[in-house]
Amino acid sequence: MGRKKKKQSKPWCWYCNREFDDEKILIQHQKAKHFKCHICHKKLYTGPGLSIHCMQVHKETIDKVPNSLPNRSNVDIEIYGMEGIPPQDLKDHERQKQSTRGPDSSDEDEPASKKVKPEGLLGNAPPGMPGLMPPGMVPGLVHPPPGLPPGMQMMPMAPMGAPPFMHPGMPPMLPPHMMMQSQPGPPKPLFPSAVPSSSPGAAVVGADFKPISSGATISAPPTTNTPCSSSSSSSQTPKSSTIQATGTSSKIIHPLEDISLEEIRARLPKYSRGSSWQKSEDAGSSTSTSTSEMSIAVSAAQQAAATQAAVIQAKAQEVQHQHMAMMGRMAAAAAAFPVRVSGPPFSVVTGAPVMAGPTMGVLRAPLIGGPLMRHPPIGMPPGMIQMPPGVMYGAPMFPGMIMQPRFR
Amino acid sequence: MFNQSAIGGFGANTTVTTNNPMKDYEVVQSPDDSISSLAFSPATLPQNFLIAGSWDNNVRCWEIEQSGTSIPKSMQTCGGPVLDVAWSDDGSKVFMAGCDKQAKMWDLASNQVMQVAVHDAPIKTCHWIKAPNYSCLMTGSWDKTLKFWDTRSPTPMLSINLPERCYCADVDYPMAVVGVANRQIIVYQLEGKPQEFKKVDSPLKYQHRCMAIFRDKKKSPTGYGLGSVEGRVAIQYVFTTNPKDNFTFKCHRSNGTPNGYQDIYAVNDMAFHPVHGTLATVGADGSFSFWDKDARTKLKSSELMDQPITRCAFNHNGQIFAYAVSYDWSKGHEFYNPQKKNYIFLRSCYDECKSRSSS
Repeated sequence: MGRKKKKQSKPWCWYCNREFDDEKILIQHQKAKHFKCHICHKKLYTGPGLSIHCMQVHKETIDKVPNSLPNRSNVDIEIYGMEGIPPQDLKDHERQKQSTRGPDSSDEDEPASKKVKPEGLLGNAPPGMPGLMPPGMVPGLVHPPPGLPPGMQMMPMAPMGAPPFMHPGMPPMLPPHMMMQSQPGPPKPLFPSAVPSSSPGAAVVGADFKPISSGATISAPPTTNTPCSSSSSSSQTPKSSTIQATGTSSKIIHPLEDISLEEIRARLPKYSRGSSWQKSEDAGSSTSTSTSEMSIAVSAAQQAAATQAAVIQAKAQEVQHQHMAMMGRMAAAAAAFPVRVSGPPFSVVTGAPVMAGPTMGVLRAPLIGGPLMRHPPIGMPPGMIQMPPGVMYGAPMFPGMIMQPRFR
Repeated sequence: MFNQSAIGGFGANTTVTTNNPMKDYEVVQSPDDSISSLAFSPATLPQNFLIAGSWDNNVRCWEIEQSGTSIPKSMQTCGGPVLDVAWSDDGSKVFMAGCDKQAKMWDLASNQVMQVAVHDAPIKTCHWIKAPNYSCLMTGSWDKTLKFWDTRSPTPMLSINLPERCYCADVDYPMAVVGVANRQIIVYQLEGKPQEFKKVDSPLKYQHRCMAIFRDKKKSPTGYGLGSVEGRVAIQYVFTTNPKDNFTFKCHRSNGTPNGYQDIYAVNDMAFHPVHGTLATVGADGSFSFWDKDARTKLKSSELMDQPITRCAFNHNGQIFAYAVSYDWSKGHEFYNPQKKNYIFLRSCYDECKSRSSS
């Protein structure tokens, strides 16, 4: 497979990365550019050949192959045309070409083998739409279409000149009448899209989704999405443990562990300080509590087994090395002990967060809270100010008026 | 370029620094720790209010004026880092949820806060659902449940088990989507009462990070965008008539360096433009981009900020694009610098987000 590919990609010079149409030309190039003796202009056949020539004929050492890239100047590697190139470099070159050559070329000959090879995991597009993205999207994205819509004089300015036209502010954007309207009113015809989500007439939006609720029709619409049904949990678990970039030429900027950034961050004592999140640490992982219980149970069992083993061992060796059995038992106990301690870490965690202290929030509150106290009416949406503060802060969380649940 | 210097020395809001490469309006008194959530007030309010939840446990509210100036209005503190915020449909209340495993309702009129939801683990997402026959708060948690709260009852109206921890969700009545840790997607229909509509295996191969529902020409929800930690976005239709309608595209990746080495960043958030239906994505690379999913083209990409962009939001009529520049933990603990200021920027985006084909 690799053979075939090598043949189909253009020959290139390892020393300077230049591509050639023909390996013969490549060899000529190498002889003229990289293997020529700078003293007598004799053309040698390889880098080591040149080095030996210079050493023997001119008593000079050559530490670099002439005209080569800095990392490719090794005189000890024997390269002749495409032969002798380190496999790693060969791979890298192919990959690089694949990525830089762009979509068309990858479509041309052997996209399959290319995909399969080193980048198979990362792929160029997810399954189901191979090739769809690269041809259509990438070029468009990298080089936005040159044609700017006519009549949008602002566009050219936008990149660097945004402030000039923005500075007067947003007024040009916000139609004045929009700002005048003071009542949460009926849908404004001008901005229809903004309305549906908030207007009581949400039924409008619902129109399309309705057939869904009728249940029977659900199965009707053809869906190309693979129904997940049994879910990929099995295939998932091994993969989900870490996040790793697949290609060697790319790196996913993300902690290795495949959990959300927020989860990772929330573990920090700094963020888990509050009593409530605290609780979540032990109770929140009600699952983890159970696992910890389980681990305790397991450790107990292990311990039992260990002591039992020790006992058996002791019996066996009773006669000769009774004291050794004792040691064995002790060792077993010692081994079991740390496991059994798996409970306490929680209490350790419980203590830690306190140091972070809740002071920050309290201190800060006045900064922003202040202005509000001074002119609450201005800021608050009209029609809301008059509302008497119905609930007192600190009052029972759920005042008596419990509405009957509407579901069911 | 010519009158740039003049502008630069002009307003305090448009101070040109490296922190603000796009020269957008900076929101004053920004949060003291990373910004986890952003939301603009709904169209029912005449003004624009912006709320932001932060890892400093606070939720702040600003009024955003036409001029681009932001006026701090109020702040509330939660019992732990805030992970999501949402507005009620009438704009009178704000919901905030986070690591304290609770969701709270903040009545802006009275400035009172009360707890309305509780989970067994931190709550990652909260969304307000306004249906003709009910309204409730939907909360998605790492305890692998999705719960619906009446806000007046301490018990949920409905609790749905998820196959895994909830990582991202979006609601646009009558549709809701949830992305979970094992890369499944569950689509819910909310009509009558919330019901699972279907489970979908991800078109993406890496952890899900953000989702947003988009609408069709008739303005009803028809599909969703999904972003992963591997710099890739999938556009998925709920009813796929043509499999080619669903596609993915790469984004938020460094341009290949000379040696071809590429850094791939997480897509931290995405939002669809409420008017044009185009799409904004923000990434851990510190850039935002506007895309036209129908023409499958990029409309604009920003300069790189000096920190990742964690969230973004459009205001209700699509004039303002807000994005939050703060650390997202994508490079781990070592790269967290609490000294760095967190920014929220406001950009006039209406024209930039216009689809070129339609105009």
